[in-house]
Amino acid sequence: MRPRAESLLWDDWHAVAEFEQLSRPGRFLTTLLDVPLTLERDPKTDSVLAHAGDEPIASLRLKYGFVWVCLGDPARDIVNFPECDDPDRLLGTAGSVRVAVSGLRAVENFLDLSHLSFVHAGFLGEEPFTEVKSYSVESSPQGGVIAKGCRVYQPKASPVAREGFDVDYTYAVLRPYIVVLYKANPVEPQRRDMIALFVQPVSEESCVAHLLTCYLRHGVEAAAVRRFQQFIFGQDRPILENQLPKRLPLTAGREIPVRADVASAAYRRWLAEAGVRYGAIPAA
Amino acid sequence: MSAIGLTAAGETSAAIDRWFPVARGEEVVPRHIVQAQLLGREIALWRDDNGLVNAWENRCPHRGVRLSIGLNTGTELHCRYHGWRYASGSGQCTYIPAHPGQKPAATMRVGRFGSAEAHGFVWVNLSDPAEPPMLSTPAGEQLTTLRSIYTRAPASTVAACLLRGYRFALDPTVAADSPMDAALVAGDPYTVRARVHAGQRESTVTFLLQPVSASDTVIHGLLTMHDVTADRLAVLRHHNAQMSALRDTAESA
Repeated sequence: MRPRAESLLWDDWHAVAEFEQLSRPGRFLTTLLDVPLTLERDPKTDSVLAHAGDEPIASLRLKYGFVWVCLGDPARDIVNFPECDDPDRLLGTAGSVRVAVSGLRAVENFLDLSHLSFVHAGFLGEEPFTEVKSYSVESSPQGGVIAKGCRVYQPKASPVAREGFDVDYTYAVLRPYIVVLYKANPVEPQRRDMIALFVQPVSEESCVAHLLTCYLRHGVEAAAVRRFQQFIFGQDRPILENQLPKRLPLTAGREIPVRADVASAAYRRWLAEAGVRYGAIPAA
Repeated sequence: MSAIGLTAAGETSAAIDRWFPVARGEEVVPRHIVQAQLLGREIALWRDDNGLVNAWENRCPHRGVRLSIGLNTGTELHCRYHGWRYASGSGQCTYIPAHPGQKPAATMRVGRFGSAEAHGFVWVNLSDPAEPPMLSTPAGEQLTTLRSIYTRAPASTVAACLLRGYRFALDPTVAADSPMDAALVAGDPYTVRARVHAGQRESTVTFLLQPVSASDTVIHGLLTMHDVTADRLAVLRHHNAQMSALRDTAESA
């Protein structure tokens, strides 16, 4: 198949469906990098068959409750999270939401600290606690960006939080369309809950956001986690769909960053250096 | 009458430096933000508590979110995404909640367009000129704004349909044909005037075309009646029906 995107994306793995979504009989239709996909679960063997048009897709795997596909030749493995193997954690998918904006915008929003007090007021932030204190950003040796020491006051940081507290965040952009956050657990503040966002680039201006949650159990129920994350993402979605332009500008000066945005500025810089064009407005 | 003293222009870059109506003034109510569009550009219209109407580029310069989903506090517009505040008039950012102690730089300012209110409409000039629009006030006539009609047809098609014949009655409650004529006003392709008369009695409609994009147009109408005693509501309904019929013609042209 002729590549529809740069190798960094074409030869990588992308989550394209929750496995649970395929439990119903019939075909599941979706799109990855402008390529229409058909997924089907074989009820006898419980395996998944995938086609891009009439062509069967060879590179297909199940991991973390999602179906992953690589349209090219896999240049590296699917992202791996050691936390997910901890026995005292609850691993869950929190839904797959179609968003009419570039997936790069969705990743940047996930990294964004200063919107929490406004878009998620009463949950992940609250006025007047709007100040974003300095945090550190570094590039990851494997490529990507890590932001550390982000502290935010959160009235209801998780489904089990009963009162507000200062939450310590770490973000890591692992791939152009994959980002993960770690935040202090309200019961065991020295350990961290994890939420990963796997963005499926449908086209340059639309995506599906797949969420993976990995919380310490402590009485957390899967349904409550799912409901909480879907509620939170439901607040982000209308913001994302009102961003103009829909693709992420990588040219400096197109949008004005401030100190609070050093993580997103580093993300944009890394995308530009890595030559990511799909979903972006590349620097001239 | 409304003589919008403007030169004729095409729907391309030449049309940028001129005034167009983009909304009826009464639609731009206090403490709201109205989304309008002109020549493919989105505009956030909002009235401050002093009555001034701002016409701003509909995106926050910080992260591009539409300002029309923000909040109008009466003196400032707050962006919905990160709460950045922009002052009425200047468009200058006054406060960045992520950095409460920091004075926003002068470059943190929204894109503004020229705006003015006249004849019941909000007018916008995309080139943000220093000069207000030259709108001559009609002498002694009672002006009524008609219900604006959105049309999925280019302004040139709409103008051609209007010129071919916008049919209306002097008094819709009396079925009688009157002589009528229609012409561009001062050769302007965006302004068409239609007139019917019977002796001293006459009525004119000035159509002001708002080119929303290359393919869509809003038809605004200004009505004057002289010596006509017809029921006002009946006249308004009549024009609404006639303009809707004209839209159907333009969309199937």
